[in-house]
Amino acid sequence: MGGDDDKRGGGRGFGRKKVCRFCAEKNASVDFKDQATLKYFVTERGKIIPRRISGNCAKHQREVAVAIKRARGIALLPYNAVVG
Amino acid sequence: MAETQAATRLREYETIFLVKPDLTDDNVDKLKERVRGIVGRDGGKLLRFTVWGKKKTLFPVAKQPRAIYVHASYLGGAKLVAEVERNLRNLDEVTRYISVKIADEVDPETRPVLEDLKLAGDVEETRPGAPAEREGGFRGGEEPGVEAEEESTEEA
Repeated sequence: MGGDDDKRGGGRGFGRKKVCRFCAEKNASVDFKDQATLKYFVTERGKIIPRRISGNCAKHQREVAVAIKRARGIALLPYNAVVG
Repeated sequence: MAETQAATRLREYETIFLVKPDLTDDNVDKLKERVRGIVGRDGGKLLRFTVWGKKKTLFPVAKQPRAIYVHASYLGGAKLVAEVERNLRNLDEVTRYISVKIADEVDPETRPVLEDLKLAGDVEETRPGAPAEREGGFRGGEEPGVEAEEESTEEA
């Protein structure tokens, strides 16, 4: 963890550099029907995870956000899940 | 010329609709045939129906914890989608639907009509032990990697 901090400088550095999952895999595409993949981009509560945390690039974050909203419409993802 | 070419090109759409879980296979087939009829009548081409089966929904839909998911992939114009959605809206058995454009300017000749598929759906209650990684486990099965990443950012 600490080894990478020097690249970022300051005290606010954090761990490894995140890469966009969809850019890294050439044939991966965002699909609102793919509940298993989209699950990684929402919190337990059902909120969309921001880009600074998920590591998505801007383009794919936009696609993911739209896909999550579509998936919510057909009840594949929750609008608001109760954390038990 | 360009107009004649454009006339043969269609858009590719997919529509997913949720059906009440107490419907029998015959009734689902009837719905499929109805949609197929609409697509055929309005100059479209139905590529494939996939019945995903009875799946657990993440929140109750029409006061039911489950729904039968039906996925239709077809070629057609914008008016066809409106017509399909209008019909789905009028059917009491259909509780939700969503239509999405997949591609523009598809030549209907290049896309074969595929055989309908039927998936098993959510089988956790009827047959315990069957794999159900796609459905259900949202509340319990949060990906640990995402959580850990979130925490590390917070504390840094």
